[in-house]
Amino acid sequence: MKTLILSAWILALSSGATLLAHHSFAAEFDGSKAIRLNGTLAKVEWTNPHIYFYIDVKDESGNVVRWTCESGAPGALSRRGWKRGDLKLGDPIVVDGYRAKNGSNMVDARRVTLADGRIVSGASAGDGGPQ
Amino acid sequence: MSRDSVGRVFRPAVIVAALFALSALVVGQGLTVQDFKSNRPTPRMSNGKPDLSGYWKGTTDTKPGGNIGKDLPGWKLPLTPAGEAALKHNLTATIDPESLCIIGGIPRHNASGLPFEVLQGQNKIAFLYWYSYFRLIPIDPKRKHSDDPDPSFFGEELGRWEGDTLVIDSIGFKDEKVWIDENANPHSDALHVVERWTRPDADHIHVETLIDDPKFYTKPFTYSRTWVLGKPDEEIQEYACSENNVDAANLGFGPGPIRPDGTRGYIDPAPLPPPLPKTTK
Repeated sequence: MKTLILSAWILALSSGATLLAHHSFAAEFDGSKAIRLNGTLAKVEWTNPHIYFYIDVKDESGNVVRWTCESGAPGALSRRGWKRGDLKLGDPIVVDGYRAKNGSNMVDARRVTLADGRIVSGASAGDGGPQ
Repeated sequence: MSRDSVGRVFRPAVIVAALFALSALVVGQGLTVQDFKSNRPTPRMSNGKPDLSGYWKGTTDTKPGGNIGKDLPGWKLPLTPAGEAALKHNLTATIDPESLCIIGGIPRHNASGLPFEVLQGQNKIAFLYWYSYFRLIPIDPKRKHSDDPDPSFFGEELGRWEGDTLVIDSIGFKDEKVWIDENANPHSDALHVVERWTRPDADHIHVETLIDDPKFYTKPFTYSRTWVLGKPDEEIQEYACSENNVDAANLGFGPGPIRPDGTRGYIDPAPLPPPLPKTTK
């Protein structure tokens, strides 16, 4: 199942079918700063022009740090099979993405592993970001 | 030389040359309308004119996407010194207006990756865009441009039929808070855009766009593109740009680097960590 979803993720990005970029990836995020965050879902904003979800992540010192995660627009994500109901507060979540250029605790969440193990694409296809 | 209805110089010889060069380029890239096959005829209105209505999606054949110079050799726009200065300003001192929920306007919407929807009547045609923007264009060959139209992002647009081609002639554009495309190229308030829309069959819509901006470009140039018809259940939906524009405060100036292929983005970004191994849930 995960393979199927991952294939759909790649297809969604390569087909050009869901080009809903609101801004250039490179205007906001640093392509050299890929990062993986393991956290707990603390807040969800299923809104336009991007969804935002906020996760609490323990840093190297054991302190909890809240990160802002940006993904595509609700319509684009739901057509890929990622729905609002897939995000439940308190869920463990893994975010693979890129840090903001301004150094804040913000990431472009391009690949998200949900609590049930599904991998979904959060990328804004067409934004010029890594595919 | 001749002058158009608002008294500005129109350069027919240059325009014809530009269109000819464009045709050669497009054929060279295999991107002619004829390359897109469809066995369904052009739908028509009760007055016999083509009906352009539909939900239209871009294709990956449009390269480089988001670049208004895509049909020019090397994507090199013929910028004047003032145009060069305006481009530098856009790249180094402006945030993408569209990301700040400012209307992209024309011709930027025609260069966008976003689909759009057309609803056509006998005397008006509406283009509906994501971000909940629209433009409504009268189709009336008797209407003339105003002497001093209020500047707007879509301009003062006049529609008319030339055979089966819908011509939209637009002047009266904004000169601030505008990028002409995704790459931050500029346009001035002297912009004059002539779009020539055709629907060669049921499944494709095509535009030949003439862009004339003597303040920022040394000569007119053209931008052509074909879109494909969406599925019957696809349509524009609510997309409230200003609902929760958190990233507006985090955006830098300009689009970021432009790659050698004419698109925006990093050349060699770091890879993401590998996907997690499969787990049993």
